[in-house]
Amino acid sequence: MTSSRTVSRLSRILALIPYVLERDSVEMGEVLERFGYTPEQLSRDLDTVFVCGLPGYGPGELMEAYLDEDVVVIDAADYFTRAPRLTPTEALGLLAAGMTVIDMGEGNPALQSAVGKLSKVLVPGAGPVLSVDVLDENEHVRRLKEAAAASRVVRIVYRSVGREQTTERDVEPWIVFHTLGTWYVVGHCRLVGGERTFRVDRIKESEMLDEVFRRPSRVPVPGIGYTPSEGDISCVIDLDAEAMWVPEYYPVEILERRQSGARVRFWAPDPEVAARLLLRLGSAGRLVEGPEVAGRLRELGSSLLALYS
Amino acid sequence: MQSVVERVLNLLIYLLESPTPVTADDIRHTVQGYGDQSDEAFHRMFERDKDVLRRLGVPLKRQPLDVWEVDYGYTVDPDEYAVEDPGLTQEERVALSVAARMVRLGGSHIGLDALLKLGGVERGVGLEPIGADLGATATDLGDLFTAVTERRLVEFGYRGQARRLRPYGIAHRRGHWYVVGETGHGERVYRIDRIEDLEVSEERGSFDKPRGFDVRGVLDSLPWESGGGERVEARVRFDPDVAWWAARTLGMPEPEGELVTVLPVVNTDAFIGWVLSFGDSAEILEPETMRREVLRRVEAAMAVP
Repeated sequence: MTSSRTVSRLSRILALIPYVLERDSVEMGEVLERFGYTPEQLSRDLDTVFVCGLPGYGPGELMEAYLDEDVVVIDAADYFTRAPRLTPTEALGLLAAGMTVIDMGEGNPALQSAVGKLSKVLVPGAGPVLSVDVLDENEHVRRLKEAAAASRVVRIVYRSVGREQTTERDVEPWIVFHTLGTWYVVGHCRLVGGERTFRVDRIKESEMLDEVFRRPSRVPVPGIGYTPSEGDISCVIDLDAEAMWVPEYYPVEILERRQSGARVRFWAPDPEVAARLLLRLGSAGRLVEGPEVAGRLRELGSSLLALYS
Repeated sequence: MQSVVERVLNLLIYLLESPTPVTADDIRHTVQGYGDQSDEAFHRMFERDKDVLRRLGVPLKRQPLDVWEVDYGYTVDPDEYAVEDPGLTQEERVALSVAARMVRLGGSHIGLDALLKLGGVERGVGLEPIGADLGATATDLGDLFTAVTERRLVEFGYRGQARRLRPYGIAHRRGHWYVVGETGHGERVYRIDRIEDLEVSEERGSFDKPRGFDVRGVLDSLPWESGGGERVEARVRFDPDVAWWAARTLGMPEPEGELVTVLPVVNTDAFIGWVLSFGDSAEILEPETMRREVLRRVEAAMAVP
């Protein structure tokens, strides 16, 4: 099995060589920034290039590659005057990135023409075959983006996920982020006095205040994942084959894979979330362990039975 | 890893510089790095190296060397190897670099890898307060994209059934990737992360897309509005404290108090699931059959100790 590190390293080398060959003189600093190298990685890759070449592998057959003061020198590599074509995933990834930013309403005319040129080269004559729709922005997304860009505090009315309560809180928005079909805002919540992630579709009202806050120098990179925190409840659920969409949507740990289905550990800030999930699943999911969830499931189930009987 | 990187570079140079296809045996005795391996060890190394070349985007081809197709050789056409220059201006390169930094595909910045091949990433003014991740299973997505652009037929398993599709387009909607195409029984939409055992046919250009096809038009916007079922109308009520939230999902104006509305439903399962996600703050009022279905589901969930 070849690691993807080998592939990434080779990919960067094959992109670097034509870039340097095409120019008279290339400063090391420019290469570091443009190709995301550290100085050590760059020297190591140049050393590798230096020992490769045509069969025979004598001095006349090998490529030249070295640092001359702060200038990157590569020569005798005529077969690498162009970088390799994009893989389908790379082509799709780049096009989708451009289309996403346009769809988020952040594209400028240069990005639109860039996506147009790329489509012509990567998807010749195919017409509109790729579409990215990151869900409509509502007024709250727009307001939060504006507030994050200007480092202004926002006051929101928020309905917590799981907890049946609506609260008003002041938040210092650090980053507005879209993932898995939902907009999020990550920032410092003054109500709880710590970092929190809020789903924008749960924000009922929002208002930008005049107060300016100081953005932390390092903003955490928002991920799809959810990290269980203190006070969260956990339970164990057996999932049948029809319920195997659950691990795609929720932060679960797969304890055991079965022929069809799995046993998973499920975390949530509140038993309500797990109870509602179990109701959705019907017979396709079974609670194995989790007394708080079992209690809430009974209550919620009885109230639904009363509603529908 | 060092030796693999060197060996693959040497192999690629040899393939690019050989005017005619070369056999595995030629490669073994000519390219530095294969050395004095046993037959078995050589084949293992060679298979792995070919895989690396493909993952790099190198169009490696295997061709018969004679009319009897007894011997095969490998070749890389230098013209096919080279990335096509899209002719981007400096301003366009900056815009793309910023976009590729903001958007991830299944957690990785795949657009940045692509940009390296197009001459590196430009310094861009920060747009850090905004970002996106388009969750994805990269391999099938890439293969399906190839099939769409090269108009190749695909076969795969979906919910335990074999499917054959002319793939017309790919779309990202609400956090998931879908492929849209013609099955012979009408246009269908499949979620890519649910596709199993994908096979892409070798033959290019094996179908024509209908004129004016636009992938955006095919996808229904709400999950219960598409699928194989019969279309029914459901009347549903939301309590005042969740009504604004449901209305937002449905693209309706936000009501002051409770919300009672009639919705078209094709996929009953998905619809009941969505309504139950509101707990007891929402209720399906009609049809009666759907209410009984909710009861069955709640009873089943509670039957378990």
